[in-house]
Amino acid sequence: MNARAAALCVLLATTVPALAPAAALAVSERPTQAEMEEALTCQCGCGLTVHSCNHLNCGSGEPIKKEIAERLARGETGPAILAAFEARFGEKILSAPTFRGFNWLAWVTPFLVVFVAGSILAVTLRRRARAGAPTPVAPSAPPPAGGDPALRDRLARELKDLDRD
Amino acid sequence: MAEIGRLAISLALLCAVFSIGLSVIGARRRRGDLVRSGEHAAYATFGLVALATVLLLRALLAQDYSLEYVAAYSSSTLPTNYKIAALWGGQKGSLLFWAFVLTLFTTVVEVQNRARNRELMPWVTATLMIVTAFFLGLVTFITDPFERLPVPATEGADLNPLLQNYWMMIHPPSLYTGYVSASVPFAFAMAALITGRLGDQWIRTTRRWALFSWFFLTLGNLFGAMWAYEVLGWGGYWAWDPVENAAFMPWLVSTAYLHSVMIQEKKDMLRVWNMVLVLLTFTLTIFGTFLTRSGVISSVHSFTQSGLGPYFIGFLLVILLGVGALVAYRLPELRTAGTIESFLSREAAFLFNNLILVGIAFAVFWGTVFPVVSEWVRGVKITVGPPFFNRVNAPLGIALLFLMGVGPVIAWRRATAKNLWKAFAGPVGVALATGVLFLATGMPFGAAWLTFVLGVFATGTVVQEFWRGMRARQALLHESAPRALSRVVGKNRRRYGGYIIHLGIVAIFFGIAGSSAFRLEKQQTLNTGEQMSIGRYVLRYDGVQSKEDGHLSQLAAVVTVLVDGKPIDVLHPEKRFYKKPKQPTTEVANRSTLREDLYLVLGSYDDATKLVTLLAYVNPLVVWIWIGGLVMALGTAVAVWPSGREREVRVLAPGAVGASAE
Repeated sequence: MNARAAALCVLLATTVPALAPAAALAVSERPTQAEMEEALTCQCGCGLTVHSCNHLNCGSGEPIKKEIAERLARGETGPAILAAFEARFGEKILSAPTFRGFNWLAWVTPFLVVFVAGSILAVTLRRRARAGAPTPVAPSAPPPAGGDPALRDRLARELKDLDRD
Repeated sequence: MAEIGRLAISLALLCAVFSIGLSVIGARRRRGDLVRSGEHAAYATFGLVALATVLLLRALLAQDYSLEYVAAYSSSTLPTNYKIAALWGGQKGSLLFWAFVLTLFTTVVEVQNRARNRELMPWVTATLMIVTAFFLGLVTFITDPFERLPVPATEGADLNPLLQNYWMMIHPPSLYTGYVSASVPFAFAMAALITGRLGDQWIRTTRRWALFSWFFLTLGNLFGAMWAYEVLGWGGYWAWDPVENAAFMPWLVSTAYLHSVMIQEKKDMLRVWNMVLVLLTFTLTIFGTFLTRSGVISSVHSFTQSGLGPYFIGFLLVILLGVGALVAYRLPELRTAGTIESFLSREAAFLFNNLILVGIAFAVFWGTVFPVVSEWVRGVKITVGPPFFNRVNAPLGIALLFLMGVGPVIAWRRATAKNLWKAFAGPVGVALATGVLFLATGMPFGAAWLTFVLGVFATGTVVQEFWRGMRARQALLHESAPRALSRVVGKNRRRYGGYIIHLGIVAIFFGIAGSSAFRLEKQQTLNTGEQMSIGRYVLRYDGVQSKEDGHLSQLAAVVTVLVDGKPIDVLHPEKRFYKKPKQPTTEVANRSTLREDLYLVLGSYDDATKLVTLLAYVNPLVVWIWIGGLVMALGTAVAVWPSGREREVRVLAPGAVGASAE
C-alpha cells in the first residue's frame, strides 16, 4: 500500500503543478499587448490568434492590435478589453471558450473523462486483482538431499530476469 | 482521354463491388475459387484506378484545360513538380489519389497473404473493397476529376501559392500513406471479429502494417509542422487547426495501440483495448478526411467546401454501428482470463499510458468539435483556439512523459520495493539533479521545468536499459562494448527500437517546451543601416533585393546578423507576389542551431520611405523537434527490420510461401 500510495503521489506531484497554468486561463488584470492579442482570434479567416496572424496589412488583425494598444494605454483591464471586443464581435473573437455557462463543458469534459476512465480502470484492476489472488498453499516438501542448491539459485535468477521482459 | 479515365473509374467501382460479393459469398459457402476470384477482382480494381490516376496526372502535365480540375489547379507557368503535386492538391484529385493508394495497399495485402490467413482473407478483401467502393463512389458520382468544362479554358488558375512549396511533394503523400494504410489493420480486425478468430493471428499479421501506418502518420504530422513553420511566417509550427488536429488524433490512438498490443502478445491481455484502438484509428482517419472536406469546421487547410459531408457522416455511422455491433457480439470471447495484478506493474503502466493517449485524443476531438456543439446547443458560434489546446493538453502530455519513463523498466506483474529502487534510483537521481541545476540557473518552476526533468528521467531509463543489456552480454560472453550493444539491439529489435523512438519523443518534448516557454519576439521598423536587438542577436537592415519572372516577383530584405559585434550570417526574409492568383506569401528566413532558431519575417516594405518592418523571433530548441523525428524514424527502422531468426528462416526455405516467422 505504501509503494502504491507513493506511486500515485509521484504521479499527482508531476501532474498537479502542470495544472497551474490552467488556473490562469483568463487574462490578467494588467496584461501585456501580446497576451491580449493571444486571447483574440483574427477575423480574417487565417484561424490564428491576432498575435500570430502574419498577413500583410491584415484588415482585421492590424486594427485590433491598434485598438488593444490604445485601450491598454488608457489603463483598461484585460477582462474589460475582452468584454469590449466580445460585445462587438461576439464570442467567436475569443480564442478560447469563456468560463461561463455551457462553455465550462469545454474545459471540464476532457479532464473529467480521463479521471472517470482512470477511476473505472483502477476499480476494475483492484477487483480483478483480488479475484485473481492465489489461495495460499502449504509449503512444498523440501527438495531431495541430492539437489544442487547452486543450480536452483541460478534457475530462480534466470526465471526472475526472464519475467522482467 | 477524359472518357477513358471516367470509364476506368466506373469499371473500378464495378470490380470493387464484384470483389465484395465474391469474397463474402465465397467465405460463407467455403468456396475457395470464389474467394480467389474476389481477390482477382481486387487486383483489377487497382489496375483500373492506377490507369485513371495516370491519365489525370497526364492531363495535368499536358495542361489539358478542357478538364475543370486541370484548369483549376494547374497553369502554363506552374513548375512540373507542382503540376504533379496538383494531383493531390485539390478535392477531386486527392480522393482519386486516396483510392489509388488504398487499392495499391490492398494488392500488397493480397500478395502477402496468398498462402496464409486464408480463413481471414475473404473478409479482409471485402472490408478493404467496401472502403474502396466508398471512395470510388464519391469519385464516380459526386466529385468527378474528369469533368469537362463547357468551354475549355485558355489558361489554368494555378495551384494555391501556399501549396507551391517543396513540402507539397512530401507532406500530403506521407499523411495519405499513414491514413490509408490504417485500413489494413482495420480490415484484419474486422475479419477477426467476423470469423471469431480473435487470437494473435491478426495482430501478428498486421504488426508491421500498424507500425508502417504509425510511422507515416508521424512523418505526416511532423512534415506538416515543418511546412507551417517555414511558410506561414507566424513563428510557430502547430496552431491546433482542425485539420492538424485531424492528423494528430489517429496518431495518438495508433500510438496507444502499438503499446497495448505488446501486452496482448506477452500476457494475452487487453484484447478489447487493442480491437477498439485499431478500429478507432481507422475511424479517426475517416473522420479527419471528413473534417478537411465537409466544411463543417472552418480551417485554412480545408479543401473547398463541398457536399461531401453527409456522405462521410453516413459512412462514419455505418462504420461505428457495424464495428460496435461486432465488438459487442464478440465481447465475451474477447475478454481474457489474464488480469493485471498490481498498479505497480508494467501492465498497469501501459494501461494508464493508453488512457492518457486516448484522453489526449479525446481532448483534441472535443476541442475541435466544440464550436459545432456550441452552435448547435446555444446557437452561438465560438472559437476554440491554441490557448485551449495548449492548456488542456499540457498536463496530460506531462503525465504521458512520466509514464514513458516508468513503463519500459517497471517489472511485469508486480514491482517490489527492491525492483523499484533498482529500476528507478539512477534515473530519478539524475532527473532531480538536473531539475535542481535548472532552478539554480534561473529556470522557473512550471510546465517547462517539469517537461525537462521528466524528459531526463525518461531518457535515463532508456539509457539504463541499453547499458544494462550491454553489460549483461559483456559479462556472459566477454564481448566488446560496441559488439555487445549491437548484438543486444539486434536480438531485441522491437524492444530497443521502441526505446529509440522514446528518445525521439523526448527530444520533441524538449523542443516544444523550449520554444513555447522561452520564446522571444520583437517587431521593429527600420531604415537602411539601422539595427534592432533580440536576445543575443543584433540585426542590421542592409536594404532590399528584388527579382521577377513570369510566375512571381520576389522582394527580400537583406539582414546581417551580429553576435558580440561580429557578423555571423546574412538572412533574407522575403515576400513573394504570385501573378496568377495575385496572392502574396511570406518566405521566412530562419537560422537554425541546436540551441535556438533565429526566425525573421518581412512584415512590410514601404517603397516611398524605404522603411521595412521586421518581425524577429528567437525560438529555443525547435530543431530538437525535427531531430526527434529523425530519431523516431531510426527507431522505427530498427523495430521493423527483420530479426536474424526471420532472415535465417527465409534463407533456409526461400521457396516456402508463408514460412516467415510472422
